[in-house]
Amino acid sequence: MLYLCEVTDVAEGASKRIDLPERPPLAVFHLPTGIFVTDDTCTHGLASLSEGEIDDGAVECPWHQGAFDIATGKPCGAPCTIPLRTHRVVVSDGKVFLEE
Amino acid sequence: MHTIRLAGGPAFGCADGDTVLRAGLREGLGLSYECNVGSCGVCKFELVEGAVEDLRPDAPGLSERDRRKGRRLACQSRPTADCVVSMRLDDAVRPPVRPQQRTAVLEAVRPLTQDMSEFTVRTDGAADFLPGQYALLHLSGLGAPRAYSMANTANPEGIWQFIVRRVPNGAGTAALFAMTPGAALSLDAPYGQAYLRPSGRDVVCVAGGSGLAPMLSIARAFAEGPADDRRLTLYYGARTARDVCGAAELAALPGFGTRIRYVPAVSDPDDGFAGRRGFIHTVMAEDLGRRFDNCDIYCAGPPPMTLALEDLLIREAGIPADRLRFDRFF
Repeated sequence: MLYLCEVTDVAEGASKRIDLPERPPLAVFHLPTGIFVTDDTCTHGLASLSEGEIDDGAVECPWHQGAFDIATGKPCGAPCTIPLRTHRVVVSDGKVFLEE
Repeated sequence: MHTIRLAGGPAFGCADGDTVLRAGLREGLGLSYECNVGSCGVCKFELVEGAVEDLRPDAPGLSERDRRKGRRLACQSRPTADCVVSMRLDDAVRPPVRPQQRTAVLEAVRPLTQDMSEFTVRTDGAADFLPGQYALLHLSGLGAPRAYSMANTANPEGIWQFIVRRVPNGAGTAALFAMTPGAALSLDAPYGQAYLRPSGRDVVCVAGGSGLAPMLSIARAFAEGPADDRRLTLYYGARTARDVCGAAELAALPGFGTRIRYVPAVSDPDDGFAGRRGFIHTVMAEDLGRRFDNCDIYCAGPPPMTLALEDLLIREAGIPADRLRFDRFF
C-alpha cells in the first residue's frame, strides 16, 4: 500500500492533488460517501481535476467544465468521453493509502 | 453591432447575426472550441451582463448540470445587447488564421462513391486555411450552418473543396446535393483545431466516411512539404467495398508508394472486398505493430470510430493526448 495523505488534509467536499515520483498525478476526493482517488489529469485536455468544482458526486474540469463521476470515473458532461481512471483506496487510522 | 467584453479581459465587436464564439475568433482571441455546432461542449461560458439569443436550446454540448449553473455555448449564443461574458482565454488555441465570412459560388460536383461527392466552390480572394480545418457553409433554406472540412490545401485562387456524404433525411446534405453549379452560398472559414502541426514524427491519418476530406488535405500538404524521411499513412475505413474512397487521390501525390501509403479496410464481413478486413482502428494498430510512439495521429469520421481510437490510443496505449488530434462533432 502506498501512503497518499491524511484524511484531515482533504476537507469534505474538497480535493487534493498528490504527486508521487514516476507516476501520473492523483486526485484525492473527500465526498460525504467516503474518500475516492482518481487520476488528476482530465482525459480531454490536460487540466488538473483537483482544481475543479465538485458537484453532487461529480468533478468538473476547470477548463471546459466537462465532468466525471468521481466514484466510477464515468464521463458525465461534454466534452469528456474517455473514462477517468479510478484507484482503490484504503483508509486506516486517519490515513489514505492507495491499494496496489 | 454589439460589444462583447470578456470579464477581466479584452472587448470585441460582434456583427449582427454573428455568435459570441465566432466574433471572438475573428478578433484572433484564443477561445476554446471544437465543433462550432453545439455538440462538443468545449465553448462554454457564463453571461455576466447583457442578453443573448440561444440558437440551439437543446444542444447536446450542455448537460443538465451546465444548464442549472447557467452555462451557455458561445457557438450558439447570438448577442441581442452589449454583453459581458466570463470565458477562459487560452493562447494555445488562438486561431492561426482568423475566420471570415465570404460569399461563394458552387463550381463543380464530382461523384466519388455511391453516396459521397466532391463539391468545389470558389470565393473572391485566397482560400486561406490550414490542412485539416473546416468551413461553416450557410445554405439557403437552412437556419443553422453546416460544418464541412476542406479536402484541398490553401491556394490563392479561392478554391475550396469538400467531400460530403449524402445522409438519408439530412437537411444539410439534401440542400447541398440539390445545388447545381453556379449556385451561391456563404462560406465562413477557417475553423478547427485538428490541423497539421509541424513535427519530426511520422503522420498517421485515420478516416471514415466523409472524414476523408480533412485527412486528404493533410496528406496533400505533407506531399507538398519537404521530402524528408518522415512517412504518412492514410487508413480509410468503409463498411463495404463500394464505400472505399481516396485511393486515386492518394496515388496522385508525389511520394506515393515511398513516403505515402494508403491502407483501406472494410468492416462488413460478408463483403467481397479483397483487402484488409475489420474496423479501421484495429487495422491501423495491427499495421503499426501497436507502436504509436513516433507518430502524430489525426482522425476524422463517425463518432464510434473516433471514440474507439481515443480509447485505444489514449486510455490503453497511453500516448500523450496532444499526439491524437481531431475535432469532436459529438
